[in-house]
Amino acid sequence: MNTNIIEIADLVKRYEMGHEEVFALRNVSLTLGKNEYVAIMGPSGSGKSTLMNMLGCLDTPTSGTYFFNGANVSEMDDDDLAAIRNKEIGFVFQTFNLLPRATALQNVELPLVYAGLKSEERRKRAIEAITRVGLADRMDHRPNELSGGQRQRVAIARALVTAPSIILADEPTGNLDSKTGQDIMRLFGDLWRGGNTVILVTHEEDVARHAHRIIRLRDGLIESDEINPNATSV
Amino acid sequence: MPRLSEVQESFRIAVTSLRVNLMRSILTTAGVVVGVVLVVLMGWTIGGLDAVWEKTISIIGKDMIYIDKWNWAGGGNWRMMEARKDITLEQAEALSMRMESAEETIPITRKWGGSVSVGNTSLRCSIMGTTTAYGSTSAGTTEEGRFFNEVEEREAEKVVVVGYNIKKNLFPDESPIGKYLKIAGVPYRIVGVVEKRGFLFMDFIDNQVFIPLYAFRSSFGFFDRSFSVGLKAGSERMLDIVRDEAVGHMRSIRNVPPADPDDFSINEMKAFDQQAKNIRLGIWVVGMGLTILAFIVGSIGIMNIMYVSVTERTKEIGIRKAIGARRSSILSQFLIESAMLCVAGALIAFPIAQVIVGSAQYLAVHVFEQDWASVVSPLVPFDLLGIAVGVSILVGLLAGLFPAIKASGLDPVEALRSE
Ligand SMILES: Nc1ncnc2c1ncn2[C@@H]1O[C@H](COP(=O)(O)OP(=O)(O)OP(=O)(O)O)[C@@H](O)[C@H]1O
Ligand SMILES: [Mg+2]
Repeated sequence: MNTNIIEIADLVKRYEMGHEEVFALRNVSLTLGKNEYVAIMGPSGSGKSTLMNMLGCLDTPTSGTYFFNGANVSEMDDDDLAAIRNKEIGFVFQTFNLLPRATALQNVELPLVYAGLKSEERRKRAIEAITRVGLADRMDHRPNELSGGQRQRVAIARALVTAPSIILADEPTGNLDSKTGQDIMRLFGDLWRGGNTVILVTHEEDVARHAHRIIRLRDGLIESDEINPNATSV
Repeated sequence: MPRLSEVQESFRIAVTSLRVNLMRSILTTAGVVVGVVLVVLMGWTIGGLDAVWEKTISIIGKDMIYIDKWNWAGGGNWRMMEARKDITLEQAEALSMRMESAEETIPITRKWGGSVSVGNTSLRCSIMGTTTAYGSTSAGTTEEGRFFNEVEEREAEKVVVVGYNIKKNLFPDESPIGKYLKIAGVPYRIVGVVEKRGFLFMDFIDNQVFIPLYAFRSSFGFFDRSFSVGLKAGSERMLDIVRDEAVGHMRSIRNVPPADPDDFSINEMKAFDQQAKNIRLGIWVVGMGLTILAFIVGSIGIMNIMYVSVTERTKEIGIRKAIGARRSSILSQFLIESAMLCVAGALIAFPIAQVIVGSAQYLAVHVFEQDWASVVSPLVPFDLLGIAVGVSILVGLLAGLFPAIKASGLDPVEALRSE
């Protein structure tokens, strides 16, 4: 019985810059189970975002294997990857990445558009998700009419509207003040308690201490991978 | 294949982007607008020409066959026709005796380059000598008075039926019936005015007067004149039968040996169709050339603006891909947007074309008083709207293809990194 969502082995990501080779990931192996809450830490340039993009099927490795829910991602074509991103993965970015011309609700509906859902069904689920992040009263606002914290809530609602297997967040509090950051972290805690698998990248120990497992990267390698006995989100 | 929800989303995006970049969109569609205006104008012109032509030949008589020494449409060998023996009145009368399928067999003789005068004004026109039966053809239908009758014909009375232009020029404000005009110095009493029949390039047809055959003889003589014979078939269906019968009789009347070709020509209104076709073709070729040019220029503009749009929206494309848009989703998004740009162009073009067409027709009829223009529609033909929109969609899809392929192939990670 295998409950691992993610199994990666010997993952390498190499960039060629002219004659030079840059290794964003040198050799990373990792397994992640259901309903884990993981923080990925490490200095700037250590490969955190690269790893997240791999886990999120946005990027493909130079070598190594990646199994997602038992399926071999390395062998998938563009459309399969898009389908996984759409159904199984919820992305939250540091810079929110909302569509500026769409309302909060339309932004949240968008993954369901690409899932092919009918309009009423989309609306119903998007309203549910946006209510869960506490923004029911801001549904019709555009991103530029919302505060940073509110924008990130919309982004989180968009990430969870498809009920994905994992939620990936790359420095979700990086652009927020600490008070707003704590609100957002509380939201991730709620999601985890609700049964979600959460992986987040952060620079801040304060943020990382919410997680139950902390993985530290350095120069494209896993430096340490430890259980956090003092996890604050319980 | 993109899903229905994605197509709906694409339309929403396209409409938003058209609205946000309104001025840019309108300028971009200029080439398409010009192209569509040209298509519409061309279609309208050809349609108008057809209407004028149809009107002309139907008034002169689609059911008429004229046997003549000459081929009217100018086909055939001129010298060979010149060498033919004249068709005499006796031959025309012999044909008249034998014909069974034609409703009327009408001998006709003409003096081209004649003139008529009233007081000191004289007018150049052709003078036709014929029989009462000519009055029963559509070419001889009177709008005022009547055609001359059998008694007047038999007695060679000096009566005349005038063409529309003769009446218009010599008796502009009064009825000419009962008045006199002089032909070759002899006064003729006007008994009727023939309906307007000539349109556009057939205008000369209204510069005619009709007098009884024997009155013609006393004024101009029959010497050295070749007659025509008009055969009224009664309907277009009868044309073949009447033609075959007439050819048979004429060959025997003129003793044409069985192996020889006819020594006379059969003229029908259909013969002029070829000329009308050539004019149509000319307009079509010129119009199509200009249209294609405009569409090419237009599609280059659209392609350019779509590339700009892809670049501007790289980040957006990255976001969409990150949350599950497939290649085909992005492809269709940009294709729909560029097709919509073109359709918008077509929709802008239509009212412009309508204004041009409407004012052209109004000016022709009311300011320049061109009678022929009244049979031309002042409205742009609506089936052209469908064609124009269809062509625009096609142009939009073609112009948007490469930018859309570029957008759909973007790497999501790189696209997300762009600002
Ligand atoms: N497209 C690329 N081309 C070349 N090198 C790249 C590219 N993307 C990333 N890298 C390199 O890979 C390494 C890891 O980058 P990555 O973005 O994963 O770091 P990070 O840990 O997320 O850093 P930060 O904390 O600053 O976000 C860096 O040295 C970076 O320069
Ligand atoms: Mg990073």
